[in-house]
Amino acid sequence: MSLALRLAAGLACGWLLASPTARAASPGDDLVTPVRIGRPDAPLVISMWAQQEYSHLAAREDMAATFHGIFREWALAHPDIRIDISVMPALELHKAKLTMAAANDRLPDVASIDSFWVPLFQAGKHIQPLDPYWSKEDRDDFLPFTINTLSDPEGHVYGMWHGTDCRVLYYRKDLVPKPPQTWDELIEIASRISREKKISGYVFNAGRWEGAVFDHLPMFWGQGGELVDEGGAPIFGLPPHREKMIRVLQFMRDTITKGASPSSVLANNDYQQLSSAAISGDTAMFLGGSWQLRDLEPSLSKEQFALWDVAPIPQREKGVVSTGAGGWIWVSFAKDPLKLKAAAELIQFIESSKNVGVISQHAHQLPARKSVYQQFPFFREDPFHVRFGEWLAGARARPAVLIYPTISEQLQLAIGYAVSGDKTPEQAVDGAWAEVLRVAERQKAGAAPPPAFDPLMFAPAALTVLLLGFGLLAVWRENRALVAWLAPALALATAFLLYPMLELIRLSATDATTEGAGYSYTPASLQSVATDPGLPGMLLVTLLFVTASVVLQLFIGLGLAVLIDAARRRGTWGTMFARAAVVSAWVIPGVLIGVLWRILLMENRAGIANYTGSMFGLPALPYLSSGSFALASVVVANVWRGSAFSMILQFAGLMRIPKELHEAADLEGLTRFQRLRWLILPQLKPILALNLVLITISTLNTFDLILPLTGGGPARQTEVIALYMYRSAFFSLEAGRSAAIATVMLAVNLVLALVAVRAMRRQAAS
Amino acid sequence: MKKRTDRPMQLALLLVAAAFLLPQLWLFSLSTKTKAQVYEYPPRLISENASLRNYATVLDKTQIPFYLWNSARVAVLATALTLLLGIPAAYVLSRERFKRRDGIVFLFLAAQMVSPLILLVPIYGLVAKLHLLDTHAGLVLVYAAIQIPFTVVVLKSFFDGLPTSLFEAARLDGCSRFSIFRLVALPLLGPGLASVAIFNLAAYWSEFCLALVLLDSQARFTIPVGLFSFQSGYETEWHLVAAASFIGLLPVLLAFIMLQRFFVAGLTAGATKG
Repeated sequence: MSLALRLAAGLACGWLLASPTARAASPGDDLVTPVRIGRPDAPLVISMWAQQEYSHLAAREDMAATFHGIFREWALAHPDIRIDISVMPALELHKAKLTMAAANDRLPDVASIDSFWVPLFQAGKHIQPLDPYWSKEDRDDFLPFTINTLSDPEGHVYGMWHGTDCRVLYYRKDLVPKPPQTWDELIEIASRISREKKISGYVFNAGRWEGAVFDHLPMFWGQGGELVDEGGAPIFGLPPHREKMIRVLQFMRDTITKGASPSSVLANNDYQQLSSAAISGDTAMFLGGSWQLRDLEPSLSKEQFALWDVAPIPQREKGVVSTGAGGWIWVSFAKDPLKLKAAAELIQFIESSKNVGVISQHAHQLPARKSVYQQFPFFREDPFHVRFGEWLAGARARPAVLIYPTISEQLQLAIGYAVSGDKTPEQAVDGAWAEVLRVAERQKAGAAPPPAFDPLMFAPAALTVLLLGFGLLAVWRENRALVAWLAPALALATAFLLYPMLELIRLSATDATTEGAGYSYTPASLQSVATDPGLPGMLLVTLLFVTASVVLQLFIGLGLAVLIDAARRRGTWGTMFARAAVVSAWVIPGVLIGVLWRILLMENRAGIANYTGSMFGLPALPYLSSGSFALASVVVANVWRGSAFSMILQFAGLMRIPKELHEAADLEGLTRFQRLRWLILPQLKPILALNLVLITISTLNTFDLILPLTGGGPARQTEVIALYMYRSAFFSLEAGRSAAIATVMLAVNLVLALVAVRAMRRQAAS
Repeated sequence: MKKRTDRPMQLALLLVAAAFLLPQLWLFSLSTKTKAQVYEYPPRLISENASLRNYATVLDKTQIPFYLWNSARVAVLATALTLLLGIPAAYVLSRERFKRRDGIVFLFLAAQMVSPLILLVPIYGLVAKLHLLDTHAGLVLVYAAIQIPFTVVVLKSFFDGLPTSLFEAARLDGCSRFSIFRLVALPLLGPGLASVAIFNLAAYWSEFCLALVLLDSQARFTIPVGLFSFQSGYETEWHLVAAASFIGLLPVLLAFIMLQRFFVAGLTAGATKG
């Protein structure tokens, strides 16, 4: 190596190893950088996990500028505090990160979390009371529900609401002169519009996510229904609440059967899909949130926007006003009193009346402070916000109880089943109730404290070291010199692959949770997987998904390989381009593929797949909202990504076919089909077999693209076993159950891997 | 025979390219729109005033450049570590005869097929115990460990392909194992090394699940994790997500198109050689 090369390599290494934060500082304003607020050398450092849209990194410039100003002002006033800020990915991903951090005592000092996650962090005493550093006077300025929901019986307050919202009915005044007050009115008006105008009368969230439940709780509460009793125990499945819940599901089902709503609502798993239906002129009404004004206003022309208005959520009976208030809150996990104090001061500073007024106006959020409604004329005068404010006064938040996430998860499924008609509303509610009771039982028993001394805990590590040591010792005895060559690679691979496998097996025999430290050894996790009523359905979905994906991938891959090989042999122009096109799909991260296909398959008028179909005279297809279509869509997206792998593998096989065979075929004058049947396939057989096993393994483990595409819905109709494993660990937070599923999957993986290795050996020998 | 027109073949190639590129073209189209145009009806491939301003916004106003940099850093370091550990192991597994050899090769072969996603929770626990959470070092170690089996298998097959006579000549000249490795084997390994390196770089670049779980600080996020910060509970700025996605995909796509030959060779070798 020349000196210059060495120098360049050294420089490159230095560049790579340098700290990235060094680059983060922008020269103009050193106090607020993307990752830090305050002086870099301040003695007290607190960490903060924020949301991108509620920080100085917001995509909307006005929000970003507002927060930049607020943070700068804070930094100038607090030269001795530095905040290391990080923005987190949205929703469930954020929750997953927080719970894993909780289990390992790595929670940030300040975080913005969804209000209903609080109980998750109360059990482990992670979340700290803010009241010692937050005056009663200031707390009294907040809307009562924001304080009540976050208080414990001793009067400690655990979080500060930062902006709230309420659920409302959006409607177009030109199509709906008088907004419906009851379910019956709504169905009547909406079905008439659907019939006459050929657009959706009314759309709402019924996909598999939290929004579908929370949007409809006001209809349940409006009848006097309750999810949990005073003590926090679930009661929604008991009379009289059960009937009220059934009525809500029945109403949701009726919107479909009576033609008020399209069944595509089953695929609505974010608010964006509701606004997009409104923006593209595809619906007359939708059940949405107050903040959606900020989506509608900039996306519609002035005249179009003027057509929209809001009304209270229609109820079973006239005259009832009920809505749900959501919102994100600031909490502190700081155990150090100094940091806790700094954290409490920071969030009070951000949420001062003055700041809240400005932020809420930009974000179209509803302020959680009473004084803001008085001080800022906007909230007194803006026709929308005046009414939002009024309805908010009677709004309810989700119950802050540990069982709520389970209730929500089960009601999401119930909504899916009932709206699609797979189950009656009665069956759906009773099914959800049974599962909630089971989990509540387990929660009541309480997580076991971590065993004082658990010899089994060290078993996986000991076994790993033992196996590695034994293997290396055997090599050592035979030829000492070889150990140095092999040991590093073997050690790293066993540490991060073998040890986790053994640890997984140990975890599967416990009832560990993702967020807590306590566990005990029990077969309950394995049992709960084996007895899950959804298991047979899930296995069937997995079987269909894997079989369809594998067969299609194999054949499409073969077709592509044969085509490209033939084109290559003839030197057809564009061969390499076509091959690159196929492989380009394969290098995209799976989650992004899921997102991409969700955009393509969107089921309202703005969706490109249905729009293209309509140009060829096809009716609108329920790509994601009907169970069988959704499964097909998931398969298509997966095959779209995976075909490249099969193609490359089989292409390599084709390249190995001796030229002489092809020349002989040319001489014989074989037709294309004959050539494929008698020449190519027999030569390719071993590689096809290998390909089959390899893609079976990888398809079995696939959930990355399903998660954003359907989330496993509608109901559980696209929930494959790998997704169930992921959801168990990060949505339901049952690490033990997740490990039990993973252990089974691991066993299947290993068996298939053995088959594949044997196939490879045979292939190499031939 | 060769004179036959290529029209049907070209048409078929065109259809194939279209099937795989059109969805991506739509993503690109979204990236040239304004927020309002994302849901316009009728949907249009090229909206009025389509422009690349979202790209300017993403590069100028967001954290995406830092994420790109982090991804490059992690991918390069992890690839370097993978090769550093993988090359010597592959070399002796190919060139030396010893009793445990087949067993070790077998383990590597089987290990490369197990999905690390199954092991997410225990891997997190292990990295936590090593106090390497939220560090690039932790991510690099995990990445290297996961790709080592594949790397060893592929490199071994490349070493297997080198002519034995060269090695014997060197041995007769009295070269030590290390000198043979350095003077004979390494210089001939070029193409094999390139294909493994490129394959690993691409895999590390787009890995999402482990990076999401193992990194906490935005200052250290890699590009796939960073992309998901654009999605929030209430709204997603699709036009920006699309632009950011393309910026993130571009390096891999370019690398792939330019180095397609190596890429394919690496994948083929990894999957077919025993």
